[in-house]
Amino acid sequence: MQLKPIVLNVLFFVSFLIVSCQEKKTLPFLGPKETRVSAGKVDTIYHQIPAFRFLNQDSVWVSDQDMAGKIYIADFFFTSCPTICPKMKTQLLRIYDRYASNDAVRILSHSIDPAFDTPSVLNQYAKRLHVKAPRWNMLTGDKAAIYKLGEKSYMVTAQEDKNEAGGFVHSGAFILVDKNRHVRGIYDGTQEVEVNHLIEDIEILLQEK
Amino acid sequence: MKNILAIGLIVLFASCQSKEEILYQQYVVEGRSIYEKNCSNCHQSDGSGLRDLYPPLAKTDLWKRVSQEQLVCIIKQGQKGNSQVNGKPYAGYMPANAKLEAIDMAELVTFMQDQWGNKKVYSFDEAKAALKNCR
Repeated sequence: MQLKPIVLNVLFFVSFLIVSCQEKKTLPFLGPKETRVSAGKVDTIYHQIPAFRFLNQDSVWVSDQDMAGKIYIADFFFTSCPTICPKMKTQLLRIYDRYASNDAVRILSHSIDPAFDTPSVLNQYAKRLHVKAPRWNMLTGDKAAIYKLGEKSYMVTAQEDKNEAGGFVHSGAFILVDKNRHVRGIYDGTQEVEVNHLIEDIEILLQEK
Repeated sequence: MKNILAIGLIVLFASCQSKEEILYQQYVVEGRSIYEKNCSNCHQSDGSGLRDLYPPLAKTDLWKRVSQEQLVCIIKQGQKGNSQVNGKPYAGYMPANAKLEAIDMAELVTFMQDQWGNKKVYSFDEAKAALKNCR
């Protein structure tokens, strides 16, 4: 049977469509959205991480300005954490090692026990993990500011709880933030499979302009 | 016919396993799940530790240097201050595992010895006595 040229063309076009759809996988914008009407047009304002400023393990200020144009992964932990933090750090190390030579990808680990986790404690911790700023910043600062940022902006739980081992409850989430500080993905940082997805999504974000 | 013979041989072999051998295998299986729950977060499933932050358990001098009694007390009460593994110092602390009882300790230590130390059972009675004598 001979296929007519037109059928071939349609087949070609459909397969082209399928291929281009797969290539153009995009990530959602997470968090509350606002719509604003101006000059008859409807604009969607996506949830954005607000301005912040914390000290890192080298006692250097790290702010939202430093993250401009960077993709970053945020998480919440504390150095004396006996439960899920070591698992999270094991997984973050995979990301750190993978993007060791890519300046566009950063990690921000916020301490939720900043009174204990001073810059010098974080410095020791980072050294023992063999990681360095600015690729991986371990942040400390005003406790209320860290908790508020965690809950309101990164949409994770972080609070003191005397009944919990180590004295704090917090989620094991990794939050993927794009170049414009929009949250584009949230992953369970204690699960290797979930972190595989995170790495796939970082690759997608890196293609975004 | 061949099948029946094979099954017969297996049954015969299984029943030949001594009581101690069966107990040992049970302890190793139970111990593994206790290890996964309480220890592997830091020391990793394969006992390799995490860089210079958490010391390894596999291929270490611990199994010659630290007695089973000491080990049980370290697991139960945790550890503060510096420790040394393979001659390398590790800072920080290890959290207590107050919920682990004698039977858990027997299974856990048996599992760890099976993996990294002498393949010998650590009995419930020994674990119980060790826990009593922790300072």
